[in-house]
Amino acid sequence: MGRKVISILCAAGLLAGLLTGCSGKSSEEKQAADKDNKDSVIVTMPTTSEPESGFDPAYGWGAGEHVHEPLIQSTLTTTTKDLKIEKDLAVDYSVSEDGLTWTVTIRDDVKFTDGEKLTAEDVAFTYNNCKEKSSVNDFTMLDRAVAVDDTTVEFKMTKPYSIWPYTMAIVGIVPEHAYDENYGQNPVGSGRYIMKQWDKGQQVIFEANPDYYGEAPEMKKVTVLFMEEDAALAAAMAGQVDVAHTAASYSDQSVDGYHLLAVQTVDNRGFNLPVAEPQEKDGIAYGNAFTADVNVRRAINIGIDRDEMIENVLNGYGTKAYSVCDKMPWYNGDSEVTYDSDEAKRLLDEAGWKEGHDGIREKDGIKAAFTLMFSNGDSVRQALAEDVSNQLKEIGIEVTTEGVGWDTAYDRAQSEPLVWGWGAHTPMELYNIYHTLSGTGIGQAEYSPYANETVDRYMDEALASGSLEESYELWQKAQWDGTTGITQDGDIPWIWLCNIDHLYFVKDGLKVADQKIHPHGHGWSIVNNVDQWSWE
Amino acid sequence: MMRHLNGRQRVLLGLIVSAVILLTVCIGGAFCGDAARVTDFSRKNLEPCLRYPFGTDWLGRDMLVRTLKGISLSVLLGMAAAAVSAFIALALGIAAATLGKTVDAVISFVIDLLMGIPHILLLILISVALGKGFRGVAWGVALTHWPSLARLIRAEVMQLKESPYIQIAGKLGKSRWYIAGKHMLPHLMPQFLTGLVLLFPHAILHESSVTFLGFGLSSEQPAIGIILSESMKYLVTGKWWLALFPGTALVLVVVLFYVAGENLRKLTDPGSVHK
Repeated sequence: MGRKVISILCAAGLLAGLLTGCSGKSSEEKQAADKDNKDSVIVTMPTTSEPESGFDPAYGWGAGEHVHEPLIQSTLTTTTKDLKIEKDLAVDYSVSEDGLTWTVTIRDDVKFTDGEKLTAEDVAFTYNNCKEKSSVNDFTMLDRAVAVDDTTVEFKMTKPYSIWPYTMAIVGIVPEHAYDENYGQNPVGSGRYIMKQWDKGQQVIFEANPDYYGEAPEMKKVTVLFMEEDAALAAAMAGQVDVAHTAASYSDQSVDGYHLLAVQTVDNRGFNLPVAEPQEKDGIAYGNAFTADVNVRRAINIGIDRDEMIENVLNGYGTKAYSVCDKMPWYNGDSEVTYDSDEAKRLLDEAGWKEGHDGIREKDGIKAAFTLMFSNGDSVRQALAEDVSNQLKEIGIEVTTEGVGWDTAYDRAQSEPLVWGWGAHTPMELYNIYHTLSGTGIGQAEYSPYANETVDRYMDEALASGSLEESYELWQKAQWDGTTGITQDGDIPWIWLCNIDHLYFVKDGLKVADQKIHPHGHGWSIVNNVDQWSWE
Repeated sequence: MMRHLNGRQRVLLGLIVSAVILLTVCIGGAFCGDAARVTDFSRKNLEPCLRYPFGTDWLGRDMLVRTLKGISLSVLLGMAAAAVSAFIALALGIAAATLGKTVDAVISFVIDLLMGIPHILLLILISVALGKGFRGVAWGVALTHWPSLARLIRAEVMQLKESPYIQIAGKLGKSRWYIAGKHMLPHLMPQFLTGLVLLFPHAILHESSVTFLGFGLSSEQPAIGIILSESMKYLVTGKWWLALFPGTALVLVVVLFYVAGENLRKLTDPGSVHK
């Protein structure tokens, strides 16, 4: 008995020691943190945001699948909060009549952080290098870049490309003299920040560039930690980070000393509905007998209650999506629809899809059913797929969900709907999704069978148009021109569900500058304007 | 009550009880069917209560049904895999012991080779090569669990071959088939059966770990590995029930199989059968 008491006492003593030890340390840490907090900030990002091939634009830094400002390097143009174009390195740019030559004059007073001057040669080198090496971004419209003199660079295009300024906004200019295959590990640029330290798999530390040609950054030091959402939440609970990225499923947590910041995005989720009748080519099945019926696609589009879905899946942290480019200057408001399940049922009835004894419709022996795939392990996409399944059952459509890996998803999506995530700061995404692709597949659009000559023509015209403003209108017409398009009254080959708010726990006292609408990818976009953040 | 029973009866009772529990879980799981996949957002993230004793997850799925279904899936997979494994082990073990030195060397080498590679690694390789999913995991588990049993059977057969009564039977002119069927097989059976049953827990644990790591079943399936890996994300928000109950259930099933196997061994092994 005596021994037992002693051991319990020991354990209690140990526990108490541990507890006091912990709390003592954390308050010290807090004080230390408070002292030099005034001009530094610690931000968490998903582990997938860490650039695998380093901070090299040719391998996707800034100009990859997820676009953002490259911070270390500066770009010729930038995008504003409403996604219009502003100049950065460029003083002026113009395009020739035929759209095949872009002439850009650049600032004369810009130096790389190694002291060398940034010239048109560097710009030309950067773009030619990207064209040659980039596997993550499309540079096929560029033939070559030529430096005419120290401050003028000419881009020779292979085809007219009116939205070139959007490409210029994401390609960071690298120094020709300091560029080799290891550039991504030790980047030198002329941007707002210098990369000081990169501990792979853990963190990147940026320091403000003292010679920056623009407004001096307020935040002198930016530390980016790479971790999963649950670790980020734990880090916020421990008070170790200033901005922690988080997901809707954690949004009901309250963390002392932090508030939740929800940033509007065009980070949308939707699914494709293959338009073509089933056929097979090269071992891949294209098309789907059920979704080939336009009335089915229309019924699905208005048979989904997006408000309820956002409440169910995202705890309300999202906005309804009707297109791949909501809120962008090239978005056509006619894409919007209202939820109406009665109308959806009527459409299906009228098209001959009659309800069977099990409540599932069918027509000519074809069941009103499809498999909705989602990428394995993505809980939001899984929840969206499940909610679609539940909602469509109400109008007599049977949806089976299935988790798939990306190794098979692309091919299978040619015949079965898949939950996708898109959203970029360039209208090119409309082209990628809806424009037919010649030379591969069955002459349909790349990701899901769809072809409409009029839509194609508008997008081709938009790329060939003389100014951005003109092109915006043509992009809008490609979505709906009054008679045809990709909206509810048109062919509706894709169903868009919601734009997912990007959520962050932000430490009280930190003022995160106004964000532009975030694109797809919950990573670097938040620090686009970290130079303007401040502590109160 | 236990006191009135002799050792043999007690062992038998233990075996029956564990077998009945396992069977109930399996049959229960099989009857759950689609209920394990039903999502209902109006009941998401509920703590354990009378209606949902295991709580619900972020999609509003009933965790009790999901766990039952997951366990029965695991057991089913474990049985299939263990049966294939045991069959391979029996065939190779006997072949190694009876077909001469070269065959023995080859088979022993393969056994050593397979035992030298970490189980889980080989499992992942086979599963991914076969396109993951139920098929991938089943083959993965089936093809990786036989070496230790095969080695045991090989040694047993070799020992038997040299034993006097077999030698005498041979000298009396009995055919090889007769000796194998009449004298060797009954002797091997207890080892084999016990080995078979003891493969189950291994197979089940490996199935769930491969799935947990993301190389097995896809994420809409109610597999224990999936359930556990999903629950990891929600532990930090205090949703303990997502991991605790399914995890405990998995451990319990494994323990029950182990108990059943041990009891079976006691009942059939000549060394302990009359205790």
